[in-house]
Amino acid sequence: MSSERGGKVRGPAYVLHTLPWRETSLLVEVLTRDHGRLALMARGARRPRSPVRGLLRAFQPLQLEWFGKAELRTMSQAEWATFQPLLDGQALYCGLYLNELMLRLLARDDPHPGLYDAYAETLMALAAVGGEGVVLRRFELRLLKELGYGLQLTLDADSARPLDPAAWYTFDPEQGPRIAAARSNAVQFSGRALCAMAADDWTEPTTAVQAKALMRHVLAFHLGHQDLHTRKLFREITLP
Amino acid sequence: MRSPSGLEALIDALRCLPGVGPKSAQRMAFYLLQRDRPGADRLARALSHALTAVRHCNGCNNFTEQASCELCLSGDRDGTVLCVVETPADLLMIEQTHAYRGQYYVLMGRLSPLDGVGPETLALDRLVRRALDGVVREVVLATNFTVEGEATAHYIGELLRPRGMKLSRIARGLPVGGELEYTDAGTVAQALVERRSLTG
Ligand SMILES: [Zn+2]
Repeated sequence: MSSERGGKVRGPAYVLHTLPWRETSLLVEVLTRDHGRLALMARGARRPRSPVRGLLRAFQPLQLEWFGKAELRTMSQAEWATFQPLLDGQALYCGLYLNELMLRLLARDDPHPGLYDAYAETLMALAAVGGEGVVLRRFELRLLKELGYGLQLTLDADSARPLDPAAWYTFDPEQGPRIAAARSNAVQFSGRALCAMAADDWTEPTTAVQAKALMRHVLAFHLGHQDLHTRKLFREITLP
Repeated sequence: MRSPSGLEALIDALRCLPGVGPKSAQRMAFYLLQRDRPGADRLARALSHALTAVRHCNGCNNFTEQASCELCLSGDRDGTVLCVVETPADLLMIEQTHAYRGQYYVLMGRLSPLDGVGPETLALDRLVRRALDGVVREVVLATNFTVEGEATAHYIGELLRPRGMKLSRIARGLPVGGELEYTDAGTVAQALVERRSLTG
């Protein structure tokens, strides 16, 4: 939990991304648990002997302290909070994908403690099982829900009736599933897969395949024209 | 009052240096033109000469004025091991150790996915050709242990592994002569995770 004293705020946080700033400083995009996404200036963080040089890295749970009210706050302290196994290989790419998603979709100063906790759990899961599609899908669904874009996966958007598992649907990111026209070119999803996603049931392998296509379709809608770098740049490394 | 256009162009040009903003660029330009005109002349000549003379080595991609650099041409290096580093400074560091006798490939950068710096910015096709020259038996990935360095190492690994190349990664852990008490938590934690067995 975070606390405030003398204009300084302390709380748990993760680094989402860093950019070098001037000779020795670092501009740090962080996800805090109770204050949402913030941009912090870490002065001198790139000096060779800076105590936070190795600490301000993505995926490491931190306890941060900062002050200032403006768009760009100043980081006054960074401490190691707890152990999180390092992500490597495909799990690392998945982690970068999550970070880019949040940088693109999450506004600054908009707290989502639930999302923070889900992010922490997702990192643990990625470290434990590697890049699993289900882990990413659960996080994407949660992210959309927290942002107020939660998916409606159980009712036909036209008739408001429960989905027919045997039928095929197109998906409107805002309204939900609609019975697919017989000769429609739009991407289609089976009623069975949509119901399974809604129930968080991933036993059928086809559910994961369809969920990946569905989330790409929905995220493309929210991201607009600019595709994610992590998707575009790493065609050779297929994200799950 | 407007500055003369030559001065403005110089200030603008200096800003291409990393970490140099408008203020420092202005300071540098004033210094060169007012206090050290011979120095400015040397800088201009050196820059212009380097731009035409210095190129990338055919073998290791490091800077050189020949087709191949001295290190690549020297006969006493082990051609079966190829060490991949991010920058020429990293290569010099490894050379200083005298612990490595193999050859190098200098990436001249790293992947930085979230900044949009992708594989096409590094000459990775040349690295693959270099590694698959038939002599190299092992590729040592010595990119940094930053998120970007790790992403780069993994990416190169994925390029070379399917082609049957033996890959290794430099080890990470406590500094030599280091004391636990004075080491940062992240390093100690990783040293525990990557501890090695002493039996057998
Ligand atoms: Zn060379």
